Amino acid sequence: MQIIPTRHSKSILYVETVSLPRHCDRLFGLWHDIQHILDTSLDILVDFHYCEFLNHTGVAFLGGLARLIEHRGGRITFNWDTLDRKIHINLAQNGFLYDFGCDRYPWDGNSIPFRCDIHQNKPEVNDYLLNKWLGKGWVNISQALQHMIAGRVWEIYDNAFIHSASEIGVFSCGQHYHRQKQLHLTIIDFGVGIPSNVRSLPTNATMTSAEALKWAFLPGKSTVSQGISRGLGLHLIQEFIAANQGTLKIYSNDGVVSIKNGKIEYGTQPINFSGTFVNIEFQCDETYYCLESGIVSTEEPLF
Amino acid sequence: MRYNVHDITGEFATDADSGQTLYERVYPQVKAGKPVELDFEGVHVFASAFFNFAVGQLLSDLSTEHLNTYLSVQNLSPDGHSVLKRVIDNAKQYYGDRQYREAVDSVMEEYAASF
Repeated sequence: MQIIPTRHSKSILYVETVSLPRHCDRLFGLWHDIQHILDTSLDILVDFHYCEFLNHTGVAFLGGLARLIEHRGGRITFNWDTLDRKIHINLAQNGFLYDFGCDRYPWDGNSIPFRCDIHQNKPEVNDYLLNKWLGKGWVNISQALQHMIAGRVWEIYDNAFIHSASEIGVFSCGQHYHRQKQLHLTIIDFGVGIPSNVRSLPTNATMTSAEALKWAFLPGKSTVSQGISRGLGLHLIQEFIAANQGTLKIYSNDGVVSIKNGKIEYGTQPINFSGTFVNIEFQCDETYYCLESGIVSTEEPLF
Repeated sequence: MRYNVHDITGEFATDADSGQTLYERVYPQVKAGKPVELDFEGVHVFASAFFNFAVGQLLSDLSTEHLNTYLSVQNLSPDGHSVLKRVIDNAKQYYGDRQYREAVDSVMEEYAASF
């Protein structure tokens, strides 16, 4: 990704291909470059000439970045004519084009919609997860498991709305990978980041970002209390992903959490991203899932 | 007393606000020693925030023996049951372990006072 200042007032943002997990670096690099020049005089024209594929991660990130630029008083315009035909159709169908002023209304198809939530909207987010992400007929999993996945993914949204303090909301987009039989979802906020939140507690002030992320995933750990026990959400999603051959990647500030093949790793990344970027991958077949028995003992006391 | 949870949450028992609403209805009844049954018929999606407020919070004031006697759940899916059990275990530690709670809350107060 490159931002090129021109002799005219507009700078040109050349969007590159985003198709592989490692291309996240391009997105964070772009965010970093824009942070340095972002003010009310910034006027960007987005050009897609060098973009051959823009996956769900790229869509969610670009959408959020555009809203961030606008929120800080800058201006962003998309040159839709530079879009590759297939990307154009995808962005039209998933609602990205419509969200950014193009008059093509999205339609129901194979794309998973791009969405921006300024506030937590329970029915809409759950409808998105159950009907537009999981419930499109491309997963061979029971309804009970779909409900379980939706509940775990809700924890990520809940975490973003309660803790991120993102002024522009939360951005999501998904993708179904037919050949790999996988379903992906990216959820991004441009708030303060999990490690910053964790370090805001005096006892955690000296933690590295990796340590802070590890702390945030422990059961019962929360930066909000108000006399209520909390702090299970991230732990529940981590546990579910690790047990069911899913993959989860979280970039927050300069910390990274990666869960793959049941292994959890905490690390750092070179760019200190102000916000939290989550990408989750689920298998589309129930045989990959290791679920508890459906029989619940009524003999055992509840408390 | 039987509470139809779906009337409060709809299909999704995921948010703190619905949990708080249910708690405010249930708490006085259970505290007064009146049996309460939570019926989850039609509720399909569960998240920890809902149970933290609706059920976990009861442990701040009521003993496990009292709650086992006067509160029961019906038609709760295995997943809902699993999330609820985790929330109860967490709440038992938070509310039951005075030292633990005071440590968490004092950090929060210190943080709030720094603004």
